[in-house]
Amino acid sequence: MKVFVYDLNKCNGCHNCQIVCKDEHCDNDWSPIAKPQPDTGHFWCKVDEEVCGKTPLVRVNYLSHHCNHCDNAPCMKAAPDAIYKREDGLVIIDPEKAAGNKDIVKACPYGEIYWNEELKLAQKCTGCAHLLDDGWAVPRCVDACCTGALRFGDEEDFAEELKNAEVLRPESGCAPRVYYLNKPKRFVAATVVDLDADEVVIDATAMLQRVSDETVVATMQTDEMGDVFIENVEPDNYYLWIQKEGYVTRRIPADTREKDVAIPELQFSTEPVKA
Amino acid sequence: METRGDTVFRGIAWSAFACSANTAAVDVKDDKIIRIRPLHFDEVSTKEYRKPWKIEARGHVFEPGEKTMLPPLSLGYKKRIYSPNRILRPMKRVDWDPNGERNTQNRGKSKFEYISWDEATSIIASEIKRIHDEYGPYAILCQADGHGETKVVHAPHGAQANLLDLVGGYTLQSRQPDSWEGWYWGGKHIWGNEPVGMQVNQMNLYKDLCENCDAMLYWGCDLEVTPWGWGGEQPSRMAYFLEEIGVKSFFISPDLNYTGAAHKGRWIPVLPNTDAALQLAIAYVWITEGTYYKEYVETHTVGFDWFEYYVLGKEDGIPKTPKWAESKCGVPSYTIKAFARYWAKHAVSIGHADGGGMIRSPFSAEPARLEVCLLAMQGVGRPGVGQMHFIEFGQFGFNEWNPMPRSTKYFEVPGAYHGWMELLDGHPSFIPKTMIHKALTLPEGEKLHWHGHGVCTAPRNDQFIPFEWPLDGAPMIHMIISDSPSWTTCWNGGYEMQDALRNPRVETFIMQHPWFENDAVFADLILPVNTMFEEKDIAVDNWSGQFNMMYIQDNCINPIGESKSDWECAIEVAKKLQEYGGIYENLAERYTRGLDVDGWIKEGFMSANVDPSMMTYEEFAEKKMCLAPTAENWENDTVALSRWYEDWRKQPMQTPTGKIEIYSTGLAEHFPDDPTRPPVPHWIEESEELKERLSCDRAKDYPFLIISNHPRWRVHSEHDDITWFREIETCKVKGPDGYMYEPVWLNPVDAGKLGIKTGDVVSVYNERGEVLGGALVTERVMPGTVYQDHGARIDAIVRGKGGLDRGGANNLICPSPTASNNVVSEVTNGFLVNVKKVDIFALAEKYPEEFGREYQPEAGLQVSAWIVNE
Repeated sequence: MKVFVYDLNKCNGCHNCQIVCKDEHCDNDWSPIAKPQPDTGHFWCKVDEEVCGKTPLVRVNYLSHHCNHCDNAPCMKAAPDAIYKREDGLVIIDPEKAAGNKDIVKACPYGEIYWNEELKLAQKCTGCAHLLDDGWAVPRCVDACCTGALRFGDEEDFAEELKNAEVLRPESGCAPRVYYLNKPKRFVAATVVDLDADEVVIDATAMLQRVSDETVVATMQTDEMGDVFIENVEPDNYYLWIQKEGYVTRRIPADTREKDVAIPELQFSTEPVKA
Repeated sequence: METRGDTVFRGIAWSAFACSANTAAVDVKDDKIIRIRPLHFDEVSTKEYRKPWKIEARGHVFEPGEKTMLPPLSLGYKKRIYSPNRILRPMKRVDWDPNGERNTQNRGKSKFEYISWDEATSIIASEIKRIHDEYGPYAILCQADGHGETKVVHAPHGAQANLLDLVGGYTLQSRQPDSWEGWYWGGKHIWGNEPVGMQVNQMNLYKDLCENCDAMLYWGCDLEVTPWGWGGEQPSRMAYFLEEIGVKSFFISPDLNYTGAAHKGRWIPVLPNTDAALQLAIAYVWITEGTYYKEYVETHTVGFDWFEYYVLGKEDGIPKTPKWAESKCGVPSYTIKAFARYWAKHAVSIGHADGGGMIRSPFSAEPARLEVCLLAMQGVGRPGVGQMHFIEFGQFGFNEWNPMPRSTKYFEVPGAYHGWMELLDGHPSFIPKTMIHKALTLPEGEKLHWHGHGVCTAPRNDQFIPFEWPLDGAPMIHMIISDSPSWTTCWNGGYEMQDALRNPRVETFIMQHPWFENDAVFADLILPVNTMFEEKDIAVDNWSGQFNMMYIQDNCINPIGESKSDWECAIEVAKKLQEYGGIYENLAERYTRGLDVDGWIKEGFMSANVDPSMMTYEEFAEKKMCLAPTAENWENDTVALSRWYEDWRKQPMQTPTGKIEIYSTGLAEHFPDDPTRPPVPHWIEESEELKERLSCDRAKDYPFLIISNHPRWRVHSEHDDITWFREIETCKVKGPDGYMYEPVWLNPVDAGKLGIKTGDVVSVYNERGEVLGGALVTERVMPGTVYQDHGARIDAIVRGKGGLDRGGANNLICPSPTASNNVVSEVTNGFLVNVKKVDIFALAEKYPEEFGREYQPEAGLQVSAWIVNE
């Protein structure tokens, strides 16, 4: 059984995967695997871009996604006669048998199935099954990836890496076959500055403490730029503590439930001199 | 199911010259392109033969990769080939009559009719003959340069110029060192490094950095964009590897560019074209804290005392403190100090993909020289400290200009090349590209004056030679013959150029090009050119950072419509010209030298001087691919500037003193009193001609600085019609009218003040005119800055000075003057603008004809909108 393994630490956002999917499927008829994809409007493979943080503490996340070729695919339940799973794990919409059935589109909880108005046909990623059947090693999206972010192969070959991988929306219970490595969670970032001295503060201790149970989830020192950048933070409500000898300790609310927290100028002052 | 078709090798790149990368495998069947995909090296050679190199550093290994690293620009090119905007038949402007009224004022406005090849080439030939007889050959301006499809026999630029060279010559539009402006006009005076003024010796520099570098400064460098057009994505892998082994990344630019988006590091936002202030403040910290390489500065440089005097404020009473710099460049002084101290403590290199915005801005020679000052103060040449190129590995055939492990052979095929070469000799009548609009409208009897050929191969001394145009007794320009319709989308003062192109003195404007876009709309007569996929050619690939290759590219499909290659267009014109006899006699034969395409491919192979033990021509003709394996013992090549570092005499700089001239002796000798490029690099506030700072009076009306990067989804102004790109969020923004606008990035702080939200149509404007765009409110751009890529396809609503462009081609509102007094470099970035939300429906009512033009949101404007006899 095949899996797609996508390492988001290596995705440079170039959109090659999105573009070659169109190169392969627009104006090319690969029946019985797939009828042509419309030139625009369909994204059988799509790259999402998400900008997080606040200038200049900003991160951009890219996410390449397509049909998850689920082992427990809701689309197959919705149209058991028209959608089938291959021995290699790929889920295929039969273009003949699925013709006219628009309900298939709604069945996918990931929104990865598109309606082709011209052909009256639900369509999606086929894993380039037509190529694999003709001896190609990988689908086009994977072949076009320069950085090695996108990989495809036998599940057992990826066994070790899959232990640390995650799937999109696991709660849907669909058992996807597209796995992600290094999928970013939230971050809490700050530049710690002593404005009176007009200097960043290096080697201050930053602690991230969960509000609900007061657990400290991360501790690190500000770097030579006065920055602290705490990554892979679970969405939750936190306090960010900044401490350094001789400075007034600060506790700043850091709520990552909705978005990342970036504090470009976190003011940090020395203790007043005692009279 | 048979899925493969026949595979054709093809370099899909847009450097235009006979050198590039982006080698693809194109699968074709029955005159149809099935797919464009990376070439796997195993398809053409064995690993044993290739001998892939390995860079081992800090416990990690980097290798060239098993396939070519094509960018999306290559992979999506099918849509450019079949664009609804292709010119498929010769076209003539309906109200241009070469025997009567020419209506030059209607250029860019009136429509076209299709005519036959016979009629078109007859008109061109008779116009050339008439101009020759009436004014002489220098009355013809040849525009034959810039980027375009990388082709050799069918070179996209210069085929027509080579033809005119056989019948008396022409006036040359001389191409700027546009990728390197500041380096060329500044860098060369401080450290030589011919021909472009950046650190040209890169030998084994990447390996050195992998082993010794602590931090890489991507200073205005977008290696996730700029190399795409002719080098692919290998630089992206190189940057990931540096990260993997623990090299820290800094991104220094007004925007968190695509490098900053893809890689992890520290973004230091700096206002457009204020890098010089930041650089000076860093020097101030090092000088006042004593944290620079004093001994090295004493032995390897001249004039540091002048610089120190200036930095400390003894010259002008203004110490260049971090606080001073903060007020200019927007970087907090505490960040400048922390950054300067970090830099002084570590081995820090600077990465470039030629130049960022600062290199094409007002006074660009200053930040270029200041960067070299900083590198010198930290001992450039010592392990881990260099200026690293992430683009064009081995440019101009210089082995040492390649930071990556080299191949056994650098392939060049000049024998087959039919394009224009950037040479100095042979064209006494020439005009720098940045002054064309001035030349076209120059009053009779006046002359233009400047210094230097302004061609990227010219040596430093060339910049001191005075030139003028027109030559004594020579005519003004009465005819333009062009294969480069992108002046107004890539150069300085585009609206002024639109006026110049409608000047009645320009009686005839001939264009040859595959697409109906930009300046082509202003032409009188257009020949249809085909794309590289419709031509058989030879190609080389030396810039991938993997393995060098030379190969035959068969045509993938037959020519679409009636299109021909640029070279074939020139042959058709030659056939008509030779009917006039005299100097035109036997012109077609003289032009082709009796060779067909295969004959020229053989000439190309022979000129590459391939050792027969590697491959003979017969083998090449059969296999169509010649790949050069990694050179033996590449590891032993001396690292870049290491000998210079040890002892400057062993590897002197190409300056008069052989040292880094912080006080540039050449400038001091030739232009001692130029306040815009003094002998020691300075912060230049403004000049008589250029008032583009936030401190200038103009900033009251235009309070933003624009950064107009090389575009993410185009090569300059090419690719704007690729449907698959236009649906990517950062490529176009859909307006409320359904039109796809060129994105304008605004920081939420500025957008909030202006009442602008994502998706609004905005006008970016100054007194030179306005261009529209679609707002994208994002934290990826700093406050005070407006970001819009340059090169969007022009959709003129109002032409000329004070005009309005719907496409968003912001070169139209660039300053017109050159970057400083004695240089002819462009100013296309870092200038003042304002932004406002516009009521697009009100505008549409005001200009119903222009807004009603036939348009597809998917591909943009199309040629059919301009044809009367479809």
